[in-house]
Amino acid sequence: MAEFEPKIVAFVCNWCSYAGADKAGGQKLAYAAQVKLVRVMCSGRVDPLFVMDAFRQGADGVMVLGCHPGDCHYRAGNKKAQQRFRILSRMLPQFGIESDRFRLDWVAAGEAERFQTIANEMTDRVRALGPLRIRGYVAKEVA
Amino acid sequence: MGRPRTAVFLCNCGPNIAGAIDLDIIAGQLASRQDVAVVERHALLCSPDGQQFFRDTLQNRQVDNVVVVACSPKMHEKTFQDLAGEAGINIGHVQMANVREHCAWVTPDKATATAKAQLLINAAIRRSLISENLEQRSMEVNTDVLVIGGGLAGIEAALTAAAAGRKVTIVDREISLGGAVIKTEEVAPSLECAPCLLAPRLAAVRDNSNITVLTRAEVTEVRGFYGNFTVRVRRQARAIEPSCIGCEACFEVCPVTVPSRFHLGLGTHKAVYTLFPGSVPAAAAIDKSACRHFTDGTCNACVEACPFGAVNFDQPDDESEFAVGAIVVATGFSSWDPRSISALGYGTVPDVYTLPEFERLASSNGPTHSEIRLRDGRAPRSVAVVHCAGSLRPDAIPYCSRVCCLGALKVGELVRKQIPGATVTNIHHDLVLTTPREQAFYRRQAHEGTRFLACTDLAAVQVRTGDHGIRVEGPGFEPVEVDMVVLATGLQPAAGTRELAGLLNVELDADGFLKPDHAVLHCTGASLDGIYVAGCAAGPCDLPTAVTQGQAAVGDAISKLMPGRRINLEMMTSVIDADLCAGCRLCKAACPYKAVSFDRERKVCVVNEAICRGCGTCSAACPTGASKARHFTDAQIHAEIGGLLHG
Repeated sequence: MAEFEPKIVAFVCNWCSYAGADKAGGQKLAYAAQVKLVRVMCSGRVDPLFVMDAFRQGADGVMVLGCHPGDCHYRAGNKKAQQRFRILSRMLPQFGIESDRFRLDWVAAGEAERFQTIANEMTDRVRALGPLRIRGYVAKEVA
Repeated sequence: MGRPRTAVFLCNCGPNIAGAIDLDIIAGQLASRQDVAVVERHALLCSPDGQQFFRDTLQNRQVDNVVVVACSPKMHEKTFQDLAGEAGINIGHVQMANVREHCAWVTPDKATATAKAQLLINAAIRRSLISENLEQRSMEVNTDVLVIGGGLAGIEAALTAAAAGRKVTIVDREISLGGAVIKTEEVAPSLECAPCLLAPRLAAVRDNSNITVLTRAEVTEVRGFYGNFTVRVRRQARAIEPSCIGCEACFEVCPVTVPSRFHLGLGTHKAVYTLFPGSVPAAAAIDKSACRHFTDGTCNACVEACPFGAVNFDQPDDESEFAVGAIVVATGFSSWDPRSISALGYGTVPDVYTLPEFERLASSNGPTHSEIRLRDGRAPRSVAVVHCAGSLRPDAIPYCSRVCCLGALKVGELVRKQIPGATVTNIHHDLVLTTPREQAFYRRQAHEGTRFLACTDLAAVQVRTGDHGIRVEGPGFEPVEVDMVVLATGLQPAAGTRELAGLLNVELDADGFLKPDHAVLHCTGASLDGIYVAGCAAGPCDLPTAVTQGQAAVGDAISKLMPGRRINLEMMTSVIDADLCAGCRLCKAACPYKAVSFDRERKVCVVNEAICRGCGTCSAACPTGASKARHFTDAQIHAEIGGLLHG
């Protein structure tokens, strides 16, 4: 059996983290192909239900990446994200999802290497956890 | 109407995409999809030829949505949106799948990259199927400008706007214009006379029919948004009518003397006063807290002395409201008060002055009429200037104000000009002189006799009474004893900056100055559309920068607010469905721009789409799904998530 390759969905803000991923591309900084991005205008746009939906639809890990605190393009949307996901991180285990399967972090537009590092670290971490199983079934197989 | 039909364009991007992803496989798979009507491929879709091909294809085929499989939307989303628009497809129906930056360039294995690209394209197609129109809305604008602060930056901003035919209102707290510059005698390094520099600009303001000057005035309320602000200004009565020409006849008869804020407490003026002869406006003002008419009703002397009948004790305070399209904040700075660091001797050792105080002593409109004098009236024979007083230390000013070094060098120039044989010693660490002219000025001061003592730790400098005068000692230099010490104090945000930022709904930086919209690309824009910042309100700056920023801020404002032209609003705003809204107001609390308000009658929240910037933070907060972020709706994002996870 081939090694488990986790599916990772990352919600990234348009101004910092999406641009950071673009820069990683520009610099040809290869990272785990399992990481796929959903662009939103601001990390503040990310409804915790999006994260839950990603898990439900088969993601083994989910990230929300925004501008660094103080650098939000929309002033403080990332601060809202931080508040929301602090709560979500604490609730995930109650749904049977290890909190390590979720990561909220900051990537500036210029931080190509940081984007690469975070993408690879998350992939390694989730790979070690194995496929997401919620209440006894393997979510991946639902697909 | 049948199912939405999507056209997918695959761009080779030369070898960039086609070399890393097997587009043949992808094209083959797309061709078999029921939801894809058209699959086209081009060598370089953004080239003139590619753009023509893109537009022609869309014009000739009946499609509802377009997915462009190419580079980052940051590169060419707008290009293809505009082309699609020309072909009659609303830009809301154009979707990019970024397979270059996010796949081809970062996934070395071609099979893996191809598999990833399939998912990225799938997500874009699924999203496109439920895409909605984006409408370009616009609104009429007011093209007038409010300038808060009548110093150098504000004056230049006002004159620039007025020259373009715009109506300008300058609001200043003082009784006349001129800000900090008018309090100095000469500006360094050119040594031009500051009052002479400003006088023609002040006269130009006075004589310009497009400019209204409101002094002794403060902005108390700001409502509205870019292009449509309503501002409220409260003006304290000066008890003198504008017919006053500033002849000073009343000064002589006024029996009350008060310490002068204009002279930084080093001199006095009468209870009826002007800041200096020739001020704009020329009219005097009465200090009601000191004037005996107002304190005990016993004096009428100025009324009798005035040849113009201009004194009017009954003049009321007034409040006015008017509309403007843009606001320039040019409120300047305040000088750091050295009393908080006792080692500097300020306030305890006589003849320790701040740099602005020294400037007042050297000024022709100052308390000594430009004679540099000690408190006992003698001319100082020796002066020490302590650089970085209070600067670069966490307990006072953590930053470098970058203009004090030049001011500190000017002390030697002014002292030697007046007092032959006097010695001047500058105790410094770094010398922040950032232009060739400033550096030449430094060399000239050194050549003409200013002694420079390098201190290794200016935070450890002690100023106290010595045996033969004031003793200044510190690490790295031999102690000196002098008649006068000048502390080169740094610049802080002007008093009231935080309150003003609150009124304007703009952000401050860590040091309390107005934060620019973008530090490089839009440094005269504050953090809200239509609010600008110029001069030291944005942080310490030199005079040419203040002038440039005043002009630049207005240049930006008036080029965007043109008479007769509407401004386009953000298209990707949020909108609240009143039928779904529960009136919980979580969105109102979440909005970083105060764009959401609560309609008390209907008990629902409403987005002001002229203020909304489209971050979507409100939509994420909405528990009922009433708040919809256009182009990033819940449904679109859920579709995208599904598309990425299921091929």
